[in-house]
Amino acid sequence: MRKGRSLTSAGTSFAIGSIFSGVTYATLAQLLGGTGIVPVAGAIAVAGLAPLLLSARIFPARPSSVQFETAQRLVALDQHAMVNIVDKNNILTEVNQQFLDLTGYAREDVIGKPVAVLYDDNSKSLALDIRGHLARGETWQGETPLRHADGSMFYTQATIMPLYDEQGNWSGSISARTDVTHTNELVAQRDTAQTLHELRDDIWIVDARSEQLVYMNKAAKSRFGWRPEDIAGKFAKDIGEAAEGSMILEACRNLIEKGESFSSFEMTYLGLPFQISVKYLADRNRSGRFLVLLCDISEQVEQERRKSEFISTVSHELRSPLTAIKGSMGLLLSNAVGELPSKAHELLEIAHRNADRLVLIINDILDLEKISSGNMDFDSQAVDICALVRESNAANALIQNRFSLDVQTTGIGTPIILHTDPDRIIQVLNNFLSNACKFSKPSGRIEIAVADTDDHVRVSVKDEGAGIPIEDQQKVFARFADMANSDRSKKGGTGLGLSICKAIIDGLGGTIGFDTQEGIGTTFYFVLPKNAEETRAAPSGDGLAQVS
Amino acid sequence: MIKILHVEDDADIREIAQLSLELSGEFELVQCESGEKALEAVNSFTPDVLLLDMMMPGMTGRQTLELMRQIPALSETPAIFMTARAQHAEIEELRFAGAAHVISKPFDPVSLGSEIMEVLG
Repeated sequence: MRKGRSLTSAGTSFAIGSIFSGVTYATLAQLLGGTGIVPVAGAIAVAGLAPLLLSARIFPARPSSVQFETAQRLVALDQHAMVNIVDKNNILTEVNQQFLDLTGYAREDVIGKPVAVLYDDNSKSLALDIRGHLARGETWQGETPLRHADGSMFYTQATIMPLYDEQGNWSGSISARTDVTHTNELVAQRDTAQTLHELRDDIWIVDARSEQLVYMNKAAKSRFGWRPEDIAGKFAKDIGEAAEGSMILEACRNLIEKGESFSSFEMTYLGLPFQISVKYLADRNRSGRFLVLLCDISEQVEQERRKSEFISTVSHELRSPLTAIKGSMGLLLSNAVGELPSKAHELLEIAHRNADRLVLIINDILDLEKISSGNMDFDSQAVDICALVRESNAANALIQNRFSLDVQTTGIGTPIILHTDPDRIIQVLNNFLSNACKFSKPSGRIEIAVADTDDHVRVSVKDEGAGIPIEDQQKVFARFADMANSDRSKKGGTGLGLSICKAIIDGLGGTIGFDTQEGIGTTFYFVLPKNAEETRAAPSGDGLAQVS
Repeated sequence: MIKILHVEDDADIREIAQLSLELSGEFELVQCESGEKALEAVNSFTPDVLLLDMMMPGMTGRQTLELMRQIPALSETPAIFMTARAQHAEIEELRFAGAAHVISKPFDPVSLGSEIMEVLG
């Protein structure tokens, strides 16, 4: 952590000390018999010892002993720290051997060069901050990242102090730095270890070859009621046997068998739902280690359950009033209680149609909830897909007639039997067809085609609508698809229909997609294998389109 | 006339069902607002078909049916459930519990009578 600290409180004697340091530095260097490399660290020490040196001038009775002692201190400091002096223009004028060793530069590479060579672009503002302190006569202390000659970065704890000439004018600065890169790494390692240890989630580290437990954090140990020393000599299988955790150990072994480095899964462990993540950490010199992270997801599971229950309850509660509303309107429209005036009939039809829409929305929300929780169920049986197409087509006749649409079917002459869920297929077909009706121009043409291949059946619904703009195509199967650029957003619906269709077809082991051309029309299709068992719909996020 | 015992806690839905079924002139209808009241009603009325709402405060439709099955005169009476939870799993569950048919809500009042007739064959 960088900190700027003003040392000006030391007062005038300190400033004088700084001036004095420059002079004394050379004298002391001679005293120590230094030749090529001058122990410039001494300058900092001299500056720090200014009051002492001043007293030496004031009391010249013991000059030699003071100078000698100071000189020894300079050597010690010079051994300890990297030191450099820069002039007022930030040009390096002197560096010590430690400086050269740590930076990797040769003396001739840096003397006469701006000190900025030591800073990378990210540290330029730090350099300006330091210069500001120096210009105000303040000493700066803090951590500075420096650039090594090979481009790598290292970190120093620095004291940088202004220097003054004999007239008391600011003449540059002197820096003494200690390399703290390794210390930082150790601190980071210690912090990481501490964080892991304190983490709420359980962590195990297991030697990959011996399967011996190498480490367990506090949470993991306390789950087994173990003391810190209790993991010594314990093996992963001890946990497996003790707490039915053999599945975790198996997941570790599988990583090596399959040549993978990571796997994650959910399981009930010790009676609680856990998200288990297993990572293989390869080590060139050893057999490697498994890092096992066990995250207790009881809270999320409970929240999901509550959300699911809430959605389900609200949706079902909405059905009761809707039953009364739709039922009343249905009876009125059927003239069961007498003939209505034509205008009243017309208005009632609108209300009835919109009550139907509400039912669809509720159904969509319930389906969505089932998809999210992975509970969408299928009732698969042998069915004739052509019969389902005819049934769906008949169910949409009303809307087709309303818009005077010409609906053509092809490929439905001969029964095509496959094992699938007929209700869910009807749901998908109804969605395709009602979309095609909504987006067709009045008196437009819709083509429903069934194509039979050896292994698969492809069912498509083609309209002559406006097509889907390219920027909206990736959103088509997303939940609550907001397709602001197309007229699809003006056609009503929940924006859930196609995402539900995708979940259904995925769940039945098929694929779904569309072809579209702006201004020409769109074809939605699904392909189902003839003999595939359905796969359970997995919880999904916004299902992205599998666009053809 | 086919005698129907309709158990439904929602008064509006009872009225719609009544209008729908009585208009056809083929059904005689007795309606109850709870399973408990239905069990009392069957002391004086022996229906040909039971039309039971599934979700009701107090006894559910399923619990009501279980108790009715213990009455010898009703042990074989066809039972039709009406439910707002008409998902595949729930329907299967109701069939397992002895439902001859499951009508999902909202139902079509115009075709309610014919649906019941279909169950009765």
